[in-house]
Amino acid sequence: MHPADEVLVSRYVESGDQAAFHTLVNRHQERVFGYLLGMVRNREVANDLFQDTYLRVISALSKQRGSYTTQGKFLAWVMRIARNAALDHLRARKKWQDVPGSNEDDATSYWERLPDHEPAADFKMHLSQQADVLKVCIDALSNEQKEVLLLRHEADLTFREIADLTGCSINTALGRMRYALINLRRMMSTEEIKDLTEVGE
Amino acid sequence: MKNDKRDILLHLYGELPQSTDLRSLLKDEELRDEHAALSEAKFRLDHRAKERPSQDVLDHIIAAAAAGTDENLTLKRRDRKPIARTHSLKKILIPALSLAAAILFGVGMGWIGGSSNQVPASAPSALADDSVVPPESLYRYVPPRQNALRQASERQSRLAWDDDSSLPNLHRRIITLNPSNGTDWGSGALPLEVLPTSQNRGFQTAGSNN
Repeated sequence: MHPADEVLVSRYVESGDQAAFHTLVNRHQERVFGYLLGMVRNREVANDLFQDTYLRVISALSKQRGSYTTQGKFLAWVMRIARNAALDHLRARKKWQDVPGSNEDDATSYWERLPDHEPAADFKMHLSQQADVLKVCIDALSNEQKEVLLLRHEADLTFREIADLTGCSINTALGRMRYALINLRRMMSTEEIKDLTEVGE
Repeated sequence: MKNDKRDILLHLYGELPQSTDLRSLLKDEELRDEHAALSEAKFRLDHRAKERPSQDVLDHIIAAAAAGTDENLTLKRRDRKPIARTHSLKKILIPALSLAAAILFGVGMGWIGGSSNQVPASAPSALADDSVVPPESLYRYVPPRQNALRQASERQSRLAWDDDSSLPNLHRRIITLNPSNGTDWGSGALPLEVLPTSQNRGFQTAGSNN
């Protein structure tokens, strides 16, 4: 049976067990790196941000846990650090614009008003040049939809954790996820039709 | 209706409460289509290849974690009572330098004063006798002219006060003014009643006024 994250954190902080920290990094590396890579779309930058994230984690834990005070939510804490690193990077390159979060928990309001983002005009041209169709489709999503999708699929956070992390209501997070899936399906279907047409010709 | 769509999404991701009846939701055709569309997209996402960071980055993080552990242990050792440093270098150097600066300043001022007090050979003998500089002049600046005058006046007053004939003269004057006084200088101390006055002469017994 694998020890829980909290147990490994305690071993590292209290007795300096480096193997425990190594296990933590290995256990969550795909979640953290997948989210970062999906956000910045550059492997080198994602590697840098991944390293920055864990250096901040080490620094915080070295101060007797630092800001990690929530027991049993190590991954959510690491993802918050990773998200801050990613948004700092994107904001510096003006590739991220903060959207005021909706704190109202009225299911009908946000669910109805959420815009159904259409793919960008140059999406088809860009799509034909990419090998990984799904990756390009994800890139074509709006920032908010893409972030929720990455946090749910790559980081494996719950919608409640995503809402807490991004500062919105759970209905907002669910609405963004729903439209992300709908738009993805639409874009992929378009590409499949295109592929079938090319094969037929 | 909107809550039903939300429940379908939650069900897809395994976050729907157990109490919710999904079968009744899927009886609705619109909700069934919604479920199928979302499931298809999710299926593709679930089967994406996972991405991993480079090994160099992982090695660097593990090395940093080891360093962070050392730092952590250092922090723990800080709980021990720190060793008090009795004499720090700063505490010794600052007073020593201050004292040295004060001495240098004093010597410098004395040198300036001394060079100004150097009197030419043609000066009067009263001033030329000051070949020995009083110690206090090392620390206090006195204008040369005032210094010479002050020392001359001190010498004169000292000579008048130390006249050896003053005490015998005073003794002789007392004897002359009171010739009936039988006491001698150097005798033992007597009470005042024994001394003669103009009205009674010497010591008298009680009750003998007449």
